[in-house]
Amino acid sequence: MPDIGKAAVIGAGQMGSAIAAHVASAGVPVVLLDIVPEGADNRNELAEGAIAAMLKATPAPFMHRSSARLITPGNLEDDTGLLSDADWICEAVVEDLDVKQKVYRAADSARKAGSIVTSNTSTIPLSRLVEGMPEPFASDFAITHFFNPPRYMRLLEFVPGPNTRSEVSDSIREFCDVRLGKEVVRAKDTPGFIGNRIGIYWSYVAMSEAIALGLTVEEADAVVGPPMGIPKTGIFGLVDLTGIDLAPKVNATMLAMLPPEDAFCREFDTEGPLVSLLSDMVADGYIGRKGKGGFYRMLRDGTARELQARDIETGEYRAVSKPRLDSVEATKDSGLRALVEHPDKGGRYAWHVLSRVLAYAASLVPDVAEAISDIDRAMTSGYGWKFGPLEMIDQLGCDWFADQLKAEGREIPPLLDAAAGRPLYRQVKRDVQQLSPEGEYGTFEASPDAWRLADMKRNREPITRNGSASLWDVGDGVACLEFHTKMNAIDDGTIDMVREAATIHERGYKALIIGHDGDDFSVGANVGIALFAANAAMWALIERKLSEGQQAFLALKYAPFPVVGAPAGMALGGGCEIMMHCDAVQAHAETYIGLVETGVGLVPGWGGTKELITRTFARKGRPGGPMPPVLDTFETISLAKVSGSAREALDLHYLGPQDGITMNRCRVLADAKARALSLVEGYEPPPSPEISLPGPSGRATLTLVVDDVVRRGKATAYDRVVAGALADVVTGGETDVTRSLDEHRLLALERKAFMALIRRTKTLDRIEHMLDTGKPLRN
Amino acid sequence: MTAYHAPLRDHRFVLHELLQVERYRNIPAFADAARETVDSVLEEGGRMAEEVLFPLNRSGDEEGCHFEDGVVTTPHGFKDAYRTYREAGWVGLEGNPEHGGAGLPQIVATSVGEMAGSANLSFETYAGLTMGAAHTIDTHGDDAQRETYLPKMFTGEWGGTMNLTEPHCGTDLGLLRTRAEPREDGTYRITGTKIFISAGEHDLTENIIHLVLARISGAPTGTRGISLFIVPKFLTGPDGGPGERNAVTCGSIEQKMGIKASATCVMNYDGATAYLLGEENRGLRAMFTMMNRARLGVGVQGLALGEIAYQNAAAYAKERLQGRALSGSTSPGSAADPIIVHPDVRRMLMTMRAFTEGGRALALWTAFALDMSRHDPDERARRDAEDLVSLITPVVKAYLTDMGFETANLGLQVHGGAGYIRETGVEQFVRDARITQIYEGTNGVQALDLVGRKIPAHYGRALRQVFHPIDQFIADAAEDEDLRDMAGLLGKSFGRLQLATAWIGEQGLKDPEQAGGGSRDYLRLFALVVVGYLWARMAQTARDALGRGTDERAFYEAKLATANFFLTRMLPDTSSLLSKIMSGKDAMMALEAEQF
Ligand SMILES: Cc1cc2nc3c(=O)[nH]c(=O)nc-3n(C[C@H](O)[C@H](O)[C@H](O)COP(=O)(O)OP(=O)(O)OC[C@H]3O[C@@H](n4cnc5c(N)ncnc54)[C@H](O)[C@@H]3O)c2cc1C
Repeated sequence: MPDIGKAAVIGAGQMGSAIAAHVASAGVPVVLLDIVPEGADNRNELAEGAIAAMLKATPAPFMHRSSARLITPGNLEDDTGLLSDADWICEAVVEDLDVKQKVYRAADSARKAGSIVTSNTSTIPLSRLVEGMPEPFASDFAITHFFNPPRYMRLLEFVPGPNTRSEVSDSIREFCDVRLGKEVVRAKDTPGFIGNRIGIYWSYVAMSEAIALGLTVEEADAVVGPPMGIPKTGIFGLVDLTGIDLAPKVNATMLAMLPPEDAFCREFDTEGPLVSLLSDMVADGYIGRKGKGGFYRMLRDGTARELQARDIETGEYRAVSKPRLDSVEATKDSGLRALVEHPDKGGRYAWHVLSRVLAYAASLVPDVAEAISDIDRAMTSGYGWKFGPLEMIDQLGCDWFADQLKAEGREIPPLLDAAAGRPLYRQVKRDVQQLSPEGEYGTFEASPDAWRLADMKRNREPITRNGSASLWDVGDGVACLEFHTKMNAIDDGTIDMVREAATIHERGYKALIIGHDGDDFSVGANVGIALFAANAAMWALIERKLSEGQQAFLALKYAPFPVVGAPAGMALGGGCEIMMHCDAVQAHAETYIGLVETGVGLVPGWGGTKELITRTFARKGRPGGPMPPVLDTFETISLAKVSGSAREALDLHYLGPQDGITMNRCRVLADAKARALSLVEGYEPPPSPEISLPGPSGRATLTLVVDDVVRRGKATAYDRVVAGALADVVTGGETDVTRSLDEHRLLALERKAFMALIRRTKTLDRIEHMLDTGKPLRN
Repeated sequence: MTAYHAPLRDHRFVLHELLQVERYRNIPAFADAARETVDSVLEEGGRMAEEVLFPLNRSGDEEGCHFEDGVVTTPHGFKDAYRTYREAGWVGLEGNPEHGGAGLPQIVATSVGEMAGSANLSFETYAGLTMGAAHTIDTHGDDAQRETYLPKMFTGEWGGTMNLTEPHCGTDLGLLRTRAEPREDGTYRITGTKIFISAGEHDLTENIIHLVLARISGAPTGTRGISLFIVPKFLTGPDGGPGERNAVTCGSIEQKMGIKASATCVMNYDGATAYLLGEENRGLRAMFTMMNRARLGVGVQGLALGEIAYQNAAAYAKERLQGRALSGSTSPGSAADPIIVHPDVRRMLMTMRAFTEGGRALALWTAFALDMSRHDPDERARRDAEDLVSLITPVVKAYLTDMGFETANLGLQVHGGAGYIRETGVEQFVRDARITQIYEGTNGVQALDLVGRKIPAHYGRALRQVFHPIDQFIADAAEDEDLRDMAGLLGKSFGRLQLATAWIGEQGLKDPEQAGGGSRDYLRLFALVVVGYLWARMAQTARDALGRGTDERAFYEAKLATANFFLTRMLPDTSSLLSKIMSGKDAMMALEAEQF
């Protein structure tokens, strides 16, 4: 299988340039070409402008600024030569067949034999794209459909043509999966592929049913949102986000492309209230968040802000009100079925929307996707749904759902007939099986290098568990420590389990990984418990817990077997600290790491300060003398810096040279396990570090730095107190450069600083504010 | 025959020496809190209690209230006494001065209230309820409402009531049925029946302003649909005085165990004209903001009865001769020694004394925090005080009334058989004290409020206002030769309270029944530690006074001795309370309901 070592993207518009940025983030050099605008001084203006703009954009398209250097900008007139050594050329120009084919011809004459060409089209069938193109081109060609923004949206729809060579398919799929971290879903060459086919229909149904049933936009979003496992933007919030002006366009495109017997074409009411509503809003400039607002808008009056929602009927805006729907409440305890069966308007709306959308999705197998799981994966990874539509049918009860449709005299999708009362998915021993359109069950094969903990847990008991964490056998003598508290905050139970994990060799395991399937590795210690204890003046208890955490993490660090952390999402505070006590970390590329304790008026007290300072000291090629690493560590912790990606965490030394990054979330645990196994042979626990710190003289320097920041109004008087406590730790307390300090001394300093701060009212105010609002308090 | 002497010296000790309220004279509400002013108010209040109220206590109990044709007549002498009381300005002592109140701090009013309650609890309920209603109007009413009602209520010309309870709804106000229908003119028509309404009807005032909880037609069920209304007995006439009679009548009054001179009425509302007070459907919230003050008031009633019971028991124990002292006779010339020589009688007297003096410190400390929660110029200090008040109020209400009853009962015990005889008069204290454990939220419900609401709120934030000062005090006192032993005793019990608090906090989230099962014992444990802390501080204050030199040695030495008694003989109950709490609910919930 040919390896892709260099790529090119043609078209430096929003999608093309962001795809190029993401390829660069993966460490692959990439050429970015666009046309020479008429009369341009700078012939590379489009590509160069796009790169410059992306360096400023939020959310950032790059995982690290330095990746921008991997993009070579150019133009289609002078620089097609740059395509000659590209292994993959991705076209992302306007959705115009002639333009695309012109680009293909130019690329075809410049590219090397056997290189891969793909299109990012979302609307033009592959059959049309290759029409009239030479035979070798067609066999090297496929569609790779990214979702916007490509760095963050995990779905990639892959559509090969009848002539696409299998090596081409294998190699581009592998590249997108492993290197770019995408969830690659095979789709057939039909309009809108999978995600948009269902998404556009869903959006139309959800909006027009809301109007028909007279729900407010807040009510509608409260129903077609979290109760269905759909992001809380619901439908109207989502359309505001994607742009209301876009909705009529995509509807028109789909109507033009889909066969007239498709449900979307049959049900779309061109005279209906939704069509006129959208066109009125666009005419008034209410095009969504990128304009002056849409179904919601933020009204700013001086410093006052009010979030308002549009009254669909009158077009007036009024303050949003939190809808109270019994049906939504009912879902919390009793699930999706309770929602659609509820007699209130929320329940009726939910049924109207889901019955149509789920039946539509079921009807798309096998013409749009080969397998039902492809449909579900497209919706979960492309639209952020927690469950795919076919999984939702199982939640409702596949037979119940079919009966319900029957009772209402509606068409039954053949898939449901084939199911004949059986679920669409089922579990047989440790296997998950899915139903084919022919009514046969087939087993999923979990790949040994891409699995989720759920695959390992199925039909198994943990090695041991408590309310906060569990230990699992993940095969080959490796155990996995899983957290499962709310947001995976670390509490007593977690620490108990860490202690347990540190003795896993006694049960015959030879390595440990720490990770799970959750969105966030850990948001840190459960400060709610600490706050309660502090309010009750239970200082001895707090100090004991602090000590226990330190000891547990040390036990992990010096355990006689390798330990590999496998974080993804947020790894903050205590979550970062536990990670830093691992032999190595295999982080998902989207891991946001930080010691954020100063935000709540504390210092990292579970060895985080100790680890960061000792690591910063041990770094090869660092500037000489004790002060540079002290200053570095002090700055990182006092500003509570959080990395915007795993790559950025390297700069902050939360991650180091021993650590690796995995692009695909599904591969993190497998990679971590492989890494752990690679360390087993001849494993020796790390030596215990000893460092020399400057003591009071260094502290005086830090005080000057902080005073200056306070004087410039960039920090509060209390920030100075917190920074002072931190300064005591990072400069080593009462010491000087001639003495060397061991870990225990540094941990004692952490405890002392922590205990001094947690007794202070302003720290308690900060913790309370963080718990209540999720935001730091500047007091 | 009983007697009552206003315990002025002890009030002065708490106000001036322990809490040093004079230090707060920079706060406008305390501008009049100069020592001499406060002392003369207390003195006058004490005299009024001794000379005007106390003489009617016994006769009022004997006679009770009379009911005929919807008219309630208070016992003989009450009307005159009330006129004297109100004309001297005692009703609106702590009322808002902008509306005709005297504007004294709550803490001073609380002292006076205790004395009035000791002297004649039934009498005190009339004025107490008027002030409860007036404060509610002051806090939640609009300007016109305040202008219409407050001046008349603060002078005591008009009375006030609180109408919550209905036949099927006491603790659980969500069940409330009284209806309010809106009228075109913005007023409402109220229909329904309220029961157990104190001072619902009587002959002491020319008008009675009822505050009534009711449900506006179409309002949500449960506690979220309850609104608060003003329903005057007489609608205000054109001259501002009483006009047309409103459709609210007293159906009957209750025969009851105690506070017999306080009229407990069934109130019938038959389309009575009503004015919304505060916001629609926010009635319960409005009521709750006034609850702290009212609950403190009821706690002080318990304390008041403990005080008068103690005074009479102590006097009796010095007179009654029975048996000989175990260590040898103290009065060889008499046929027997006074019973005060017996350790068990001492146990009773010291328990009563340690409670009343400690309880007084607790009540006034809380009243002071209530003042600060309203008047401290610093917003954060107001919030801190508010946190303290909200946390400590259920403790004050339940502990002072439970102990008030127990103390009254001990007082009866000291009297032996005579105590059980009506003529002696001390059994009335027991009967009168009993209601304080029930009304204004039963003590069981106070305990639930503490563990279910007050402790967990804001991650235990309010605890900080109590636990941090205690923690600090113990740390400081441990360095102090004289206080070290007390600090040790207090520290041990405080540790138990912390353990129990952590347990309650944790269990409350997992299994609320565990916390509910331990709630009463937890409240008592909490109260003992807080009173223990106040006793230790009082000991420190007394020690300092003795150190400076004083001609009141006996007073301060008695303080030290009583502090020592509390810390060594009462505080250690925390040990058994802790074991009970930590044993969980299982033993309590073992039987099925049918097995009872
Ligand atoms: C003399 C007198 C004067 C009064 N004055 C007034 C007045 O002026 N205005 C007014 O509105 N009311 C007044 N009341 C009513 C008084 O406030 C209520 O009686 C009291 O709140 C208790 O309600 P209840 O009698 O319905 O008892 P219930 O609520 O029936 O309680 C019975 C028992 O069950 C317990 N209990 C109930 N619910 C719970 C629970 N959730 N958890 C644990 N235990 C529970 C209680 O603690 C109690 O022990 C007065 C009553 C009396 C006797």
